[in-house]
Amino acid sequence: MVDAARHPQVEIVSYAEVERVDGFIGNFRAQVTQKPRYVKTDLCTGCGECAAVCPIEVPNEFEIDLAPRKAIDVPHGQAVPLIYAVDLDSCIQCYQCVTACGKRDAIDFGMEPETRELEIGSIIMATGFDSFDPSVIPEYGYGRYPNVITAMELERLANSAGPTVGKLIRPSDGRTPQSMAIIQCVGSRDKRYYEYCSGFCCMYAIKNAVLLKQANHDMELTIFYMDIRTPSKGYEEFYNRARELGVRFIHGRPAQITEDPLTCNLHVVAEDQELGQVIELEVEMVTLSSAAIPKRDTEVMSSRLALARSPSGFFMEYHPKLRPVDSPTDGIFLAGAAQGPKDIPASVAQGSAAASRAARVLSKDTWEIEPVIARVHPELCISAQGKRCGLCAQACPYGAITVEVGQPAVITPAKCHGCGGCAAECPQSAITQDHFTDAQIVAQLDALLTDRPEEKIIAFMCHWCSYGGADNAGTSHFEYPSSSRGLRVMCSARMDEDFVLEAFRRGAGMVLVSGCHPQDCHYISGQQVAAKRFDRMARLLQRMGINPERFRLEWISAAEGDKYARVITEMDAKLKSFDREALIAETRAARPAIGKRLARWKASPLMVDLLSPAEAEEVLA
Amino acid sequence: MTTGIGGDRDFVAEVLAEPGGEHLLTCMSCGTCAATCLVHRYEPSFNPRLVLRRAGLGLSQMVLSSSEIWQCSACDLCYPRCPQRIHISGVMRAIRTVAIRQGYAPPGPFPEVDEAKCSGCAVCTRACPYGAIERAAREIDGQERSIAQVDPTLCQRCGLCVAACPSRAISIAMSLAPFSDGELLLRMGAGGWLDRPGWLAGGQGEARILALVCQWSIHADSDWAALDGLQSDDLRIVSLPCSGRVDPAMILLALSRGADGVLVVGCAEGECHYLRGTYQGRGKILLLAQLMQQMGLPAERVAFAESAALDRAVLPRLVRELRTRLEALAQPLPTTAKL
Repeated sequence: MVDAARHPQVEIVSYAEVERVDGFIGNFRAQVTQKPRYVKTDLCTGCGECAAVCPIEVPNEFEIDLAPRKAIDVPHGQAVPLIYAVDLDSCIQCYQCVTACGKRDAIDFGMEPETRELEIGSIIMATGFDSFDPSVIPEYGYGRYPNVITAMELERLANSAGPTVGKLIRPSDGRTPQSMAIIQCVGSRDKRYYEYCSGFCCMYAIKNAVLLKQANHDMELTIFYMDIRTPSKGYEEFYNRARELGVRFIHGRPAQITEDPLTCNLHVVAEDQELGQVIELEVEMVTLSSAAIPKRDTEVMSSRLALARSPSGFFMEYHPKLRPVDSPTDGIFLAGAAQGPKDIPASVAQGSAAASRAARVLSKDTWEIEPVIARVHPELCISAQGKRCGLCAQACPYGAITVEVGQPAVITPAKCHGCGGCAAECPQSAITQDHFTDAQIVAQLDALLTDRPEEKIIAFMCHWCSYGGADNAGTSHFEYPSSSRGLRVMCSARMDEDFVLEAFRRGAGMVLVSGCHPQDCHYISGQQVAAKRFDRMARLLQRMGINPERFRLEWISAAEGDKYARVITEMDAKLKSFDREALIAETRAARPAIGKRLARWKASPLMVDLLSPAEAEEVLA
Repeated sequence: MTTGIGGDRDFVAEVLAEPGGEHLLTCMSCGTCAATCLVHRYEPSFNPRLVLRRAGLGLSQMVLSSSEIWQCSACDLCYPRCPQRIHISGVMRAIRTVAIRQGYAPPGPFPEVDEAKCSGCAVCTRACPYGAIERAAREIDGQERSIAQVDPTLCQRCGLCVAACPSRAISIAMSLAPFSDGELLLRMGAGGWLDRPGWLAGGQGEARILALVCQWSIHADSDWAALDGLQSDDLRIVSLPCSGRVDPAMILLALSRGADGVLVVGCAEGECHYLRGTYQGRGKILLLAQLMQQMGLPAERVAFAESAALDRAVLPRLVRELRTRLEALAQPLPTTAKL
């Protein structure tokens, strides 16, 4: 941190709030509000004479309220930048600090919040994590029993720079405890609170136990665990060392802690699974290894930067295996526990990776993007006509579309990833997706259904999963009927219900719509947009006079060649079970209704050139 | 002994298909339920985690033929603590349903209804927290009568019906249950405890207190151990299956024969091992106190208290409080002979 502060090309903006971020990769604009420190950054030398004279003491947040701080203070001794700040909520404005500062004249109670606009090429989110508050678990008594503390509090109590100068004491009576139980998985791996594993608690619990054991070999240390997870390099050896030192490990999650009201000692009840019996252990102190949870303002930041969040609440990466450092928004990268709980080595690795990914953007004058992007035809957009719509912006997983009433929707090409969800959602057909235009898809349908369409199964497949699944079926030599005709689009979100209707209008026997499994979507939430859309399909088909059994929706991953083959086999069998003549008659009967529904779409300037004379006649009718 | 883990998959599927059984396989064996379980303290062989584990592995014979699956009393203390949110008593019920379907029967004994005494008033039906008692039409001595019937698959043998029955028509056989009326009276009066004059009546020592303690309400084992140390000639502790099992007649009997005060301790509301037992126990003591007032007796001599799962060393405090109250009854009392 000190290195960063000294670097001529690094500016640290601390004690500030990011209010808004607009723009796109290489061209972000951030509005940042600098909160007033009431101490001038350039004049403060960090000498601390102001804090020395300040008469106000309030709980110190850095010491988790275990020690006091002054109303004018620095967060902690190693803070960078080392500039004092006045906490106006507790300051009584006696101005003794101003007197102490004297000629340096750094203290200015007239400072106001300042808003700055920063031009930024790339952004790294490294906002860290919060610690779970275990007081909501009544059976562990945190907050009620003074001698039940969290691991974070133990860190401070055992730290030589902490409030007790490294001497561990019990909060109830200030004595040094001779026994301690450490309880793992408090709030994590717990469906009542946070389902995921916090990952690094096992290691810090063992580390704390070893440190305490080394400081006082007679201390009884017991770790209660569900599973000990020490998978990284050298970790298992460290775990073994703790066992050799005499740290006791008990396989069993404690059910409750009760306090002896006289001694304030704690009784931990758990099932020792190796013994197969319930044990009650009396200890002088209990430490809870509480879960690492998303920083409380993650939600706010995710909306300010249009960043998606994983189900666990942490920022979501672009791809869990292949792009773990990138956010779904190009030019924004993730580092450390903001992306998910991780220990120091993993945070350092991800931080370095994020820095190099960010530098890659900064080192270029131009940035190449994929050619498949969406475009708005402003003359067709109803927002431009003063109507409220915004369906395209809702469907966009990347926040690439902005809609203002009275103005046509605007797509930022650098943010668009080309799923095509907006093009399918637009009720005006005012958006096209380059290389996957409506006209191109209708042309493909036309070609696929020229000959005996009633014997064909049209399979709409997304590029990343279902198409890969079909490919897999082929390369694995899975046999399936030859009646299927694949039609590839980038994402299931691109699959307009009009395409399905058009396929039936052209006489297709069956239609399959397939995409990724919900958690696998390459475009974050494209699959969800499609799933919502096609939930309504059966009813729509019924209204049009098409048997809904002729339509099927399936989620097929790239590895599920067998599933693709099975689905096509089943659909083929179903198709063969229909009476051919009846099927043709059904299609013929439904044509006028479908044609009427599709008329406006077909009549749009983007489509009309493509119509055959016969079709043009039908549309006009 | 080794057990082949081939696993009876049909059994696992059958349990999973039962309502409540769907969470069978999500258990990760952390042992929180076992360490919470109150039944486990009295029946160390009963371990809910192990039942789920064995059932999940498909060890159907081992699970179905064991007596353990019938021991869970569905108090659901473990449920709010389970990190996997498994409704363990629901899984138990699913396993029991499968067991009954396969011809296994729950072990007895169950409360017996004396048909000659039962008036068919249905007080027991309302008292039973498990819905185990229904009335059925029977022909007795040529008359069509409605008689209480106990469903053994639902009964948990708490004895609330025994205490509730105004006709004293329901009993749990003495040899089978340590909580029959006779057994409880025997324990209250053992060693001639009820044959001495009370402190209020001019006896020696401290105020003599009879504490009727629900066996589940003192949760920590070490607290039970400490209770043994508390037993003195002036304090008699008798454990009950439930505070709702208290019969007001027992209390009046004790008060008339040498006890200065009676303290009834139940689980905290919401933690009751028999769901509504605490509610019934507290109601009984409230009514009894009113009755005593009407009879001109000081209601301060009976007390009801709750002990929560996380409370420790409650009984000494409660006894101390009751003694203080009794000692405040300074005036000479109306003679207890009235009782």
